[in-house]
Amino acid sequence: MVLAKTPDSMVSRNDNRYLDVDKINKSLDLVTSNGATYAEVRLVALNDYSVAMRDGKLERAIPGQEIGATIRVLADGAWGVHSTTDISSLQEQMSPTLKLAQSVAARRSAKDRPIKLAEVPIIEDSMHWVPKKDVRNTELSQRLEHMKLMNSSASEHENIVSVTCGWHDENIHTEFLSSEGMNRTWSFQRSLINGMVTARDGGNVVSYRTRFGGEGGLELIESCDVDALGENARISALRLLKAQRAPSGKMPLIADRDLTGVYIHEALGHPCEADLVAAGDSCLDGKLGQKIGSDLVTVIDDPTIRGGYGAHPIDDEGLDTIEKCLIKNGVLTEYLNHRETAEHFGIKPNAGARAQDGLHHPLVRMSNTLIHGGTHNDLDDLVDDVEYGVYACGSRGGQVDTGRGSFQFAAQEAWLIENGEITTPLKDVSVSGLTLQILKDVDGLTKESRLAAPGFCGKGQTVPVGDGGPIMRISEALVG
Amino acid sequence: MKLLPDGALDRLQEGCRTIGSRCNQLGISQWEVVASQSYGHQIDIEGGKISLAGGGGEGGYGVRVLEDGKFGFAYLVDVKSADEAISSAISIARMSPSIDGFVLPSEQSAKKVAGLFDKSIIDLDSEYLLNQADAIISEVSSLDARAVVTGGGIGVSANAASILTSEGIESGGLTTSHGVGVQVSIEENGQLTSSWQSKSAKSKLPNVPQCIERAVEWAQLTRDPIKVDPLEDDSPILMTSEGFSPLFSVVVPTAIKGEKLVRNESFWSGKMSENVLSSDLSIIDDATVESGKSSGSRDDEGVPSRRNVLIKDGKLTSSLWSTRDSAQQISEGRIESAHTTGSAIRSGHQSPPVSGCSNLFLTSSKKSHSFESMIEVMGDGFVINSVMGAHTANPTSGDFSVTSSSILRVENGEIIGAVKQAGVSGNMANALQEGVFLGDDVRPQGSYSSGTMYVPSVLLTKGIRVNPV
Repeated sequence: MVLAKTPDSMVSRNDNRYLDVDKINKSLDLVTSNGATYAEVRLVALNDYSVAMRDGKLERAIPGQEIGATIRVLADGAWGVHSTTDISSLQEQMSPTLKLAQSVAARRSAKDRPIKLAEVPIIEDSMHWVPKKDVRNTELSQRLEHMKLMNSSASEHENIVSVTCGWHDENIHTEFLSSEGMNRTWSFQRSLINGMVTARDGGNVVSYRTRFGGEGGLELIESCDVDALGENARISALRLLKAQRAPSGKMPLIADRDLTGVYIHEALGHPCEADLVAAGDSCLDGKLGQKIGSDLVTVIDDPTIRGGYGAHPIDDEGLDTIEKCLIKNGVLTEYLNHRETAEHFGIKPNAGARAQDGLHHPLVRMSNTLIHGGTHNDLDDLVDDVEYGVYACGSRGGQVDTGRGSFQFAAQEAWLIENGEITTPLKDVSVSGLTLQILKDVDGLTKESRLAAPGFCGKGQTVPVGDGGPIMRISEALVG
Repeated sequence: MKLLPDGALDRLQEGCRTIGSRCNQLGISQWEVVASQSYGHQIDIEGGKISLAGGGGEGGYGVRVLEDGKFGFAYLVDVKSADEAISSAISIARMSPSIDGFVLPSEQSAKKVAGLFDKSIIDLDSEYLLNQADAIISEVSSLDARAVVTGGGIGVSANAASILTSEGIESGGLTTSHGVGVQVSIEENGQLTSSWQSKSAKSKLPNVPQCIERAVEWAQLTRDPIKVDPLEDDSPILMTSEGFSPLFSVVVPTAIKGEKLVRNESFWSGKMSENVLSSDLSIIDDATVESGKSSGSRDDEGVPSRRNVLIKDGKLTSSLWSTRDSAQQISEGRIESAHTTGSAIRSGHQSPPVSGCSNLFLTSSKKSHSFESMIEVMGDGFVINSVMGAHTANPTSGDFSVTSSSILRVENGEIIGAVKQAGVSGNMANALQEGVFLGDDVRPQGSYSSGTMYVPSVLLTKGIRVNPV
């Protein structure tokens, strides 16, 4: 497996600040002298650009700038939070936010455990992941050129009734100041191109979505063969027109990288989030160190994989991001955590805090989540000994009930496997199961593991994520 | 902390006028400035206790410019950066294709919709919400000592919104909302069951809304699952409003858009004036409903709101249009005539308007049924209170394949027990064509696409496959 770490040459340490550091530090000092045990201000300035094209024509282009900041104050073991787009009001909101925290604390009973934060290194610096081609310098015409390429290869067939292409790029600049003396600034970019192809034959209408992107600037999109992306989407949409309804029931399932990524994100990643575990809403509560999956299963979550859509240099509590190994050879080794849950469980903080933007407080979140590769050579190797099953590809998303440990994810297209051969195309295949069962049922993984198409994860807040792995076989899954 | 600052709407409208003046000074022939600002208090509950109290506000401006049928859009946070945003919008407009006949809507008088602002919400402070959270946590444990609110929260908000256009539209107003959502779990003997229920309204909610009792009830009902043998045939399913609306909201609001219909991208394309649903069913989009969650006197480009009957007695009669979408489809030759239906929607100030629904009602001309009577009618089948993966349903085809862990088995007209988990699949458009019974318990629900779904519990008797574990 190739994981691209951050080369030093791609990190810049130049600075431009929105926050008045002296003034904010004074108000952080004031709030701690008035009873707060901890306080922070996190500001995010986002420059983004979205473009939509339909059937080769510009539908809309939206350039924008957002600035938001969130104050978090911890007092008497409880949180108060204030978020605003009015940056000039931050100092005056510090005391009311302290009062909010104290109001929550006053309602806690003696048996309630006060919130404390795990200790972390205090860092003053700036870190900027500098893209090769700053996406902010991209002209609309350049963006349209890439989208037109995708459109033209996707639309070349009489049954294709519509092709929609989308683009989204963003420069994310974050400033973080805390009462502990943390003073960090960081920035990075994300770029994404996507398409949706709709095909129709009589009354039968289907659609297929494709997406490419990650952390990085224009160079990322330039590295993508968007022509092939569009062509493959067209071929898949046309194939779906002739696809049959899937069989239902328990059977072997082979999942491509996209679906393997969604599977591990939903089935394992979410239940591994320590805030859910602490709230009593995870089926993995109390299972650290226990064998919960097949020996084949090793899973990491790694925000430092440059290019992954979930990559970021520093988490939203100001900690340097690191690789986390969630499962090693089937044994649950680590929860994703933030400072509060690290202290709660008495474990080392692993920088898993992410917020949607400057207007949201950080939660425990995934970043780039992958299953390591196994021993099978390729897809054929996995299909060979399947008598009757399904090979499913491309994700339409998924969902999990972390408490019960049940999950569901849907494929964009699929094929029946009969006597070791991939045969009939299928449509609208979904897969469901129970985390603690299905991790044990992984019985084959191809050697090469890498991130698949970029995705988004919702947990009250939406954050970009990268998921992936090898091609995976599950001996028995509920297919519907 | 005061929820709504004094003069919030005035400041927003002043900002719109400043940006509008700059557009005039720059000689832009048609322009539209929208603004929104929201303020709120929020309480989060985790693991049976209040975990966080928060608040704040956010907002900004969006500017749409139009010249010779070409439009551009940009958004901004601070009026001071208006020139930069206007300049971006102009340069985008110059690169956009011209749409013959596309002009911004002109001023028409709009009737005020009542019940969208509740002054008593403005007076609610964090202390009130903390008391409400405590009351909800206590109520859950008094209903069942094993039950815990494992997640959720309470929020109140006040929202100011404004629109000003070169065509004489100048409108603004304040709305409020109050919402509660809880995940209630019961863990006993190594078995965990849970249920998510929520309620929100434009007016102040009761201290403990009815959804709290329903959350506890469904966490109880789904315990001790029974074994159900795999089924060969399709099964009738009775979906509660909470279970049905997510699937309905992914599929129907998209299929009913005018541009989707004329572009052949909807499963109802080419079926105007034909029967597409069971002959007793109608679908109506109505932004003028008093206290409606997605109501407003005007749509998001300033056109007066109206009631649009989209499907009447099973027959497709109309569709949803915004000004631009209708002009574009006419100019591209896909339809001879189309006009705005007052159905322009935006995701706040950060996007230009598109077509979408507001308050979408599914109704029947037949007598509605009680929940119990529909279980009797069903005979053998399932009751489903929530599904996982509704967002993976295919809005183009109407096909869905989801999972439910909040599902009960019905035999001979009686609930005989919970099912641990089941796959549920079918096609929404086909399932609504015959053998559909609507309940008498309409509850507004959120949407995966746009608007608010006003749907009751629904018994679907055809074309649904259930695969119990």
